[in-house]
Amino acid sequence: MTGRALDLTLHLLDRQVLDQDGGMVCNVDDVEFLVPDDGAPPYITTLLTGPAALAPRLGGLLGRWVLSAYQLLGERHDKEPDRIPYELVTDIAASVKVSRTRAEMGVHPGEDRARQYFVDRIPGARHESS
Amino acid sequence: MKKMLQVTLGILTAIGGFVDIGDLVANALVGSRFGMSLAWVVVVGVIGICLYAEMAGRVAAVTGRAVFDLVRERMGPRTALLNLAASNLVNLLTLAAEVAGVALALQLATSVSYLLFVPMVAFLVWFVIWRMPFEQMERMFGLAGLALLVFAVALWQLGPDWGSLVHQATHPTVQSGEGHPTYWYYAIALFGAAMTPYEVFFFSSGAVEEKWSTKDLNLERANVYVGFPLGGLLSIAIAATTAVVFLPRGIEVEHLSQVALPTVMALGKVGLALLILGFVAATFGAALETTLSSGYAVSQYFGWQWGKLVKPKDAARFHAVVLLSLILGVMIVLTTLDPIKVTEYSLVFSAVALPLTYFPILVVANDPGYMKDKVNSRFSNTLATAYLILITVVAVAAIPLMIATKAGQ
Amino acid sequence: MRAADVLGAEVLGPDGVRLGKVLDIRLVQDGPMLGADCALRIEGFVVGKRWLASHLGYDRANVNGPALVNAVVQRLSADNRFLSWDDVAQLAPGRVEARVSQLGPVPTLVDGQIKT
Repeated sequence: MTGRALDLTLHLLDRQVLDQDGGMVCNVDDVEFLVPDDGAPPYITTLLTGPAALAPRLGGLLGRWVLSAYQLLGERHDKEPDRIPYELVTDIAASVKVSRTRAEMGVHPGEDRARQYFVDRIPGARHESS
Repeated sequence: MKKMLQVTLGILTAIGGFVDIGDLVANALVGSRFGMSLAWVVVVGVIGICLYAEMAGRVAAVTGRAVFDLVRERMGPRTALLNLAASNLVNLLTLAAEVAGVALALQLATSVSYLLFVPMVAFLVWFVIWRMPFEQMERMFGLAGLALLVFAVALWQLGPDWGSLVHQATHPTVQSGEGHPTYWYYAIALFGAAMTPYEVFFFSSGAVEEKWSTKDLNLERANVYVGFPLGGLLSIAIAATTAVVFLPRGIEVEHLSQVALPTVMALGKVGLALLILGFVAATFGAALETTLSSGYAVSQYFGWQWGKLVKPKDAARFHAVVLLSLILGVMIVLTTLDPIKVTEYSLVFSAVALPLTYFPILVVANDPGYMKDKVNSRFSNTLATAYLILITVVAVAAIPLMIATKAGQ
Repeated sequence: MRAADVLGAEVLGPDGVRLGKVLDIRLVQDGPMLGADCALRIEGFVVGKRWLASHLGYDRANVNGPALVNAVVQRLSADNRFLSWDDVAQLAPGRVEARVSQLGPVPTLVDGQIKT
């Protein structure tokens, strides 16, 4: 992909991240740049995800509202987004692919909590529905 | 038969859109008050939904991304969140009405108050989503919904003056005693029913659940071009039966039992039995469609794993949204709000959400970055542009018309 | 620095005159090595006024149908300009200072390549 050009909001932001098996991991809610001291152009080091990454992009009241809705659901309070190092990205197209499994990514505390306290307690949660 | 089974996604999607509980009654009511003079709206709606559902399904097959992914990517997180709020309000109201609708159909069969059936129906909806494979679900409810074709048979049996029906349909005039604003209010309600956004949420997500790829584009088109016209046909057949029986007598349809009456007159008990099967299947199918659509839209907006093709524990938040929607839906029904009125109102609100849903589909279907060589043809673009303008006009007109006509009274 | 700090940021010329807002960030994949590939580094900013019309691809990627939508959106985004990274004097959250007061047209992107 070296040399390829793309526009951040057109081609990367808000896209679905898929793991190596095609499982849905999260959306690209924001990205983090490293700004070199020598004036060289900043580059993307990390994809950010989760309510703490999405809220600033929604801005203002809407952002705060989404954040507090998440906290109501028991999301972490520290307002730090979950992070995916850019090194893991293998493809940027209609979705963004990463070279790990969903379980290894560790970027969805909300999903884990929903599973642990809710879905896993209902009979049949661990079976394919076929 | 095997071919027939492959288009059940399109059939179920269309049944949920065209002949859900609100539309069953709305179509019958329109027939009894306006005869066939609004049939053209159904035709316009069928063409529109075919056009945009085909695009949404094609994008899903080529990219693996469903409609709400596109809404967020093209409209940005803020506008998409507003769309999500509006669409989910519509979904929730419709879902509540459908659960009540299944219960009303059961009340028709047993004379036991529908409220007693509501918790059981909601549980069954949840259970089907929790356990039944997607394909089995769409086949079971899509095919059972076809029992509603009994309306077409009943119409035949009633032996109407076909020339007059065709004349009403091809030379639409507003019946004496009805105002123009009321006519246009129902025109928008029928158009909104045909193009309601949860159809494209469900259809495109279903395409992903069925793992369609670029190879399946012919199958995708077959689903669209069989399913939606069939839904439109059912919708027109219902209006025609009440136009034949009630319009000359000046009776206005208000209840589900009246929707059934012409068919019972024509076909007796067999007709009633088929009709109740069709009512139950169509409303249950619509309940599944709206419940799943809530889960799909929310999960796609936030990027969560969704779908029935993974174990429930691997789509925990999706299943949490599904269950929460159902619980809220049941709570709405148990307030004894009139479920049929609820869908009529929600239809009008959905008209407002239409442009925010269909515009991003159109843009992405034209983007070679997503679609490579599978972008829209010039023909579908020309039609789609006309519909985009129409949708926008409808969205702007919907709420003023609702207020002006007091929701068509 | 996050993208949210830059997107929507006010772009100011050397004399403090407003040039518009950052609508998008153009990236090229030839930055320092990160893992197996080069990093995506900033090539410049798309600067303009109209947010929605500039996030559909009609103005600077090869999206061009339907004709009417294309014409309307192109018109709405016609005054979008490009600020190259070389012309950026300072970058702060919500604020980009340019060395130049005249910005050039936005180079088009086709299949991941910049066309000039």
